[in-house]
Amino acid sequence: MDDLLFGLAFNALTLFCGLFVVLLSGLLGNPQGQVFAQRGKAEQRAYTLLKRWLLPDQIAQLERHGYFEVRGLHSGKRYRIRSNRNMNIEEIDDNGSRVAVWCFGPVGCLPLGDHMLAQKIALETDEQAALAVANRSWPELRRGRYLQSNARVSSDVAPAITGQL
Amino acid sequence: MAVQIVMDTTGDSRHEFNAADAVEVGKAAQRFKQLTEAGFTAAVRTGNGRSKIIHNFDADAEETVFFPRLQGG
Repeated sequence: MDDLLFGLAFNALTLFCGLFVVLLSGLLGNPQGQVFAQRGKAEQRAYTLLKRWLLPDQIAQLERHGYFEVRGLHSGKRYRIRSNRNMNIEEIDDNGSRVAVWCFGPVGCLPLGDHMLAQKIALETDEQAALAVANRSWPELRRGRYLQSNARVSSDVAPAITGQL
Repeated sequence: MAVQIVMDTTGDSRHEFNAADAVEVGKAAQRFKQLTEAGFTAAVRTGNGRSKIIHNFDADAEETVFFPRLQGG
């Protein structure tokens, strides 16, 4: 009997708390909704800025495929910057194959468009400095689940590991 | 009007200034100094769709973007 009463009281209390949160949220102008709306505006502003800094063919790539390509300043390598926040930079060889995946970005929780624009500028203006702080993984190794995506491996070790898989 | 665009969580903060107004240029130069000293990188667009890092304030730059320092992801 005591258990039944306790259960009823607990359910009533839970229901009351839920209603209280809903009412409070409504009274305060739905702050969660405001946060999402503000975040949406920030993402839109950042995406607009990104597109202003892209060439027309890069914008077309982005809208069609969800990525755009840039050339590294020092190596001349092709990098594909995808519309993701993590491990979104692919190094592409002359055959169009992905040979490495890089991850770096600006500090702080910036909108995705700003994140991608900072990556583009960094690769085009100071590729070596950008890659010096970046984490790298090799697609083959990731498929083989040999390395964590953020593991650091020197470039001369990686081919040897790849060969073992 | 020239503009300094600072990337932040709101998308960006924009600071416009008149390049012909010495007072406004002074404020813009001060902002440039503060941001770059705080670790921001300043970049301007070049004509061919590429970008260029600048280490000194350029009053003639039509649009300067500042982004926070980079870190590995």
